[in-house]
Amino acid sequence: MIYEMKISLPFPKQAYAVFFVVILSLVRGVTCSDEIGIALEAPVAILAAAFCADTYTQEVVSRRSEIQRLCPMIKRINSVYRRIVIQDIFLLSVAAAGYGLFFLFQNPEIDGTGSSGLENEACRFLVYFAAVAVTIGFWGLLSNLLSCLFRNMWMGIGGCLLLWLITNSSMGDRYLGAWNLFSYTFRSLENSGDYTWLYGKTACIGIGVIAAAVLPKIIEKRG
Amino acid sequence: MGIKIEDLTVTFKNKVTAINHADLEISKGIFGLLGENGAGKTTLMRVLTTVLSPTGGTVTLDGIRYSEANYEKIQRKIGYLPQEIDLYPGLTVQECLEYMGDLSGIPRQICRERISCYLEKTSLSEHRRKKMKQLSGGMKRRVGLIQAILSEPEFLIVDEPTTGLDPEERIRIRNLLVDFSQDRTVLFSTHVVEDLAATCNRLAVMKKGKFLYSGSMRELVKQAEGHIWVCRAKDESTARQLEKKYHVSSKQYAGDELQIKFISEEPPEMECRSCEATLEDAYIYITSKEP
Repeated sequence: MIYEMKISLPFPKQAYAVFFVVILSLVRGVTCSDEIGIALEAPVAILAAAFCADTYTQEVVSRRSEIQRLCPMIKRINSVYRRIVIQDIFLLSVAAAGYGLFFLFQNPEIDGTGSSGLENEACRFLVYFAAVAVTIGFWGLLSNLLSCLFRNMWMGIGGCLLLWLITNSSMGDRYLGAWNLFSYTFRSLENSGDYTWLYGKTACIGIGVIAAAVLPKIIEKRG
Repeated sequence: MGIKIEDLTVTFKNKVTAINHADLEISKGIFGLLGENGAGKTTLMRVLTTVLSPTGGTVTLDGIRYSEANYEKIQRKIGYLPQEIDLYPGLTVQECLEYMGDLSGIPRQICRERISCYLEKTSLSEHRRKKMKQLSGGMKRRVGLIQAILSEPEFLIVDEPTTGLDPEERIRIRNLLVDFSQDRTVLFSTHVVEDLAATCNRLAVMKKGKFLYSGSMRELVKQAEGHIWVCRAKDESTARQLEKKYHVSSKQYAGDELQIKFISEEPPEMECRSCEATLEDAYIYITSKEP
C-alpha cells in the first residue's frame, strides 16, 4: 500500500491539488455557508478527473505495462484499485480542507446561532462530505476508465471535461433534473428538506460501479 | 523444449509488415538475436511476451501454443526486459523491486532474499536505498534486469540490455545473463555484435522482418571465411573508390596508409590479402547479400 501511495501521489500532484483548492477558496465568493458545497463540488470533480487520469496510463507511457502484462491479472487490477482509493482519499481530504478554507478566507454567514448554528453547520458539512465523496469517486473512476480505453490520459481528461461541461450547465440541469451528476450543486437551497438530489448521486454510484467492473476487462484487452 | 516459431507474420494496422513469414527454433541457453534497427527484433520480442498478437503463423513455448486462452500460462514462464523502460522514479531500488515482486506474486520473504542476492551479483547493494531517478542509465538497466529475473522465469527475453552502457556495465550485464542462462532459455536481442560474441553460441540474424541466418556462431563465421579482404590504400580517394565498390567493415590508419577491411564474394582485382572473419564481418557479409 505504501508503494502505491508513493507511485500515485508524487509531490507535484499533491501540490497542484492543494494549490487548486486554496486558489478556489480565495477567488470563488460565497456569502452563506450553504453555498460552499456548491462552490466546491464541480471544480473538485474536474480536479478528480485530471488527478486520476494517469492512475494506469503512467504504466503505459513508461512501458512498464509491458512487464506488468506478465504479472497475474488479479494483482494488477488490485494495484490499480488501490491507487484509485488512495487518490480518492487524498482528494477527499483536500476537499474537506477546502470547505474549512472558505471559512478562513471569507467568513460566510452561518445559518442559526450558538450551538444550533454549529449543529446545522456540522450537518451541512457531513452532507457535503458524502456528496463530494461520491463525486470524487465517480469522476476519478470515469477518467481512469477513459484513459485506459484510449491508452492516453488526455482522452480521459478530455472526455470527462466534455461530460462536465454538459452536466454542469443549465441545459444539464433542465434535461437531467434530479438525475444530473451535479444534482447536489443544482439542488434548491431554499427547500432544505428536498433530498431528490440523491437520485443524481445514486446515478453516479451506479455508473461508478459499472466503470469499476469494466476496468479489469479494458486493462486486460488494452494492456 | 523451447520456443518454436513457424511462418510468423506480424503486420501492423498501417500495413507495415514487421515480421514476414519467419521460422525459428530457440533452445536452452543464451540465444542471440542480431539485426539492424528496424529489423523486427523488438516486434518479435513483443510477440513472444504476448504484448502483440501475430497476424499469421504459430508460436509455441514449451509446447504451449500462443493463443489468448494460453496467454496466462505462457506469461507465468516469461521474464522480460523491454528496450526502453522507466521504472518507478519515486521509489528506491529496493522498493521498486519489492513492488514488482509483489505484482508478480512472489512471496515477500523469498522476494527479499532474491533481491538481496541479485543486488549483490550486480554490485547494486550499496545503491538499494537510492531512488530510481538518481541512478545512472547502466544502473537502471541492471535494476530492470533484476526485475525480469526476479520470478526466476524459464524464459528470459531481454531487448538490447546493453545499449548506451559503458564497457564495465556491459560486461556486468552479460555476465549476469550467462549466470542466469543455466538450465534456462535466454533470448538476447542486440545490435552490438561484441555482446553476442561474448555470451552466445547460437544466434539468428534478422533483416527486414526475415531471418537471414539461424544456427551456431561458428557456422556463421565459417560462411564468411574467404570473403573478407584487407588492402592498403595510399590516400582517401582510393579508400572512397573501395567503399563504392565493396562493403567496407573497417578502416584504420597504419602509419601513412589506410588499412581497409572489406567484403567481396570474389577475390578483388587489386593487391590485397584474405583475412580471418570475425562475427562482425560475418554479420555484414550475411546482411549485405540481402538487398
